[in-house]
Amino acid sequence: MTTTDLSEREISDRLIAFIRERFLSGDPQGELDEDTPLLEWGILNSLNTAILVSHIRDEMGIDVAFEMMDPRAFKSVRGIASALRLL
Amino acid sequence: MSLHRLLIDSASRFPDNLAVAGPAGEMRYAELDRRADVLAHALSREGVRPGDRVVIWAEKSPLAVVAMQAVLRLGAAYVPAGETTPVARVAAMVRDCRPRAVCGSGDRLRRLVKDLGADVRAVDLDEHSGEHPGEHPGEHRDRVRPVDHPVDPDDLAYVLYTSGSTGTPKGVCVSHRAARAFVDWAAAELDARPDDRFANHAPFTFDLSVLDLYAAFSAGAAVCLVPSELAYAPARMVDFLHRERVSVWYSVPSALTLMMRDGGLLDRPAPGALRALLFAGEPFPIAGVRDLAGWTRARLLNLYGPTETNVCTFHEVVPGDLTRDRSVPIGRAACGDTVRVTRPDGGEARPGEEGELVVEGPTVMRGYWGAAPQRGPYRTGDMVRVLADGSLDYLGRRDHMVKVRGHRVELGEVEAVLGGHPEVADVAVIVGGEGADARLHAFVVPVRDRTPGVLSLKRHSAERLPPYMIADEFHFVGELPRTRNGKIDRAALGSETTPYGRL
Repeated sequence: MTTTDLSEREISDRLIAFIRERFLSGDPQGELDEDTPLLEWGILNSLNTAILVSHIRDEMGIDVAFEMMDPRAFKSVRGIASALRLL
Repeated sequence: MSLHRLLIDSASRFPDNLAVAGPAGEMRYAELDRRADVLAHALSREGVRPGDRVVIWAEKSPLAVVAMQAVLRLGAAYVPAGETTPVARVAAMVRDCRPRAVCGSGDRLRRLVKDLGADVRAVDLDEHSGEHPGEHPGEHRDRVRPVDHPVDPDDLAYVLYTSGSTGTPKGVCVSHRAARAFVDWAAAELDARPDDRFANHAPFTFDLSVLDLYAAFSAGAAVCLVPSELAYAPARMVDFLHRERVSVWYSVPSALTLMMRDGGLLDRPAPGALRALLFAGEPFPIAGVRDLAGWTRARLLNLYGPTETNVCTFHEVVPGDLTRDRSVPIGRAACGDTVRVTRPDGGEARPGEEGELVVEGPTVMRGYWGAAPQRGPYRTGDMVRVLADGSLDYLGRRDHMVKVRGHRVELGEVEAVLGGHPEVADVAVIVGGEGADARLHAFVVPVRDRTPGVLSLKRHSAERLPPYMIADEFHFVGELPRTRNGKIDRAALGSETTPYGRL
């Protein structure tokens, strides 16, 4: 039961923009993409994931039941975006 | 008395009790006992002998627990490696402690062993996961020969690798005697019972997990393995606590903070089964302790001790603590240890005075792997204040070791790894923020005319360090501030936390 009209593409773009700004000091080289391993490279940890989840809820207006989401989806932007569409 | 005796004895008294529980799988005492024997025979055929080391590089699962017990039964010591530990770091551990075998699974196990040559055996735990795991003719389930090699109390039980200031991890060697001094104390203090359910939140690489596993085994109780990915889903972590009917919870304060802040812990009544909440590894901000005390009637216990001494002091939270303006005390000596506080001038600190905490007693490690044995009192490097009643308040570190969400990090090790990046000329790392909000800030001086990418620095770190040692924020600077005697001025760096700030 997703409450967003955003496409998976739009969700990805907005997630990438937020992660760059908030967790990658702006990512001036533009290295982050949909398949960058977020957990493995320490870009998301328990604290950052909580910050990202509140951003998705409050700023992107996607009100999903995060407790239903498989935490392993946080492994990449693509994983998060498709999990959000599925919920 | 050996560490593995706890499970062997409980398996004969409570064969049908659950020993391991949780989403990763359940196992009863009788089965865990039998599988440990079967795997011990298999490891013995691979050449594992008393006094050897065996690395266990596996996800948290009943099978990983089987592997630990199998190694101990052979009189060998296990060396846990985290499921998220990169290949290069496991390889560094292997080169250091020279194990006879590495237990793991899948591709990365094969990759690791290929790099290490022929003298380290690879044991794929997946091949031992069936109903009759790795059985050999004559080892039918009803007549598998028990393995319980006699050990001396000073023999090694396990080696825990921890961050090293010189840039490589160092192995803390823990004997059966030291492990039992801690576990027996904890089981008695908690009055562990067969119907208890101990949550295991910490990874097996972290000494907190020793309490969860072995206090449970000593009582015939269950240890409920918390899947590591729940760290990214605080609401599911809270669910776990309720659904698994956890009676004893032990974790770093940061995990509890995130469960309260983002997981809705306080929104539901405390589960009736919960009777003790233990925390250790970093100071718990007093507001969090206050919230927990208002939520549950369970005992709240603050445990203290570096990996080198296991738990050596503890404090049970009393109502009077909740009006303090700082965290709760680390309390008084535990586990039969003696603690002293040494002032900078060498004298013993009296109430109201500060000094370094020094520990002597049964829980102190045998030493670091490959280094001279630890003799006499262990200097923790932790500064404390003696309170009027003789108990202790934690103040901070004497050196550059920091805690990031309860994990111990030597800044020098993070700096050594980042300094090895081809585009980094110089680097200093500091910690900013406290408790659950602690973050590592790296100040990087790039090689002339180069701008290393943040992601490239993260990737470089991730290939060599566990995730919690990867710097969170990068600041690119022209030079590092130095004090008059040429040392990096970390205080000046601490005031500079805006990304891309110029010094």
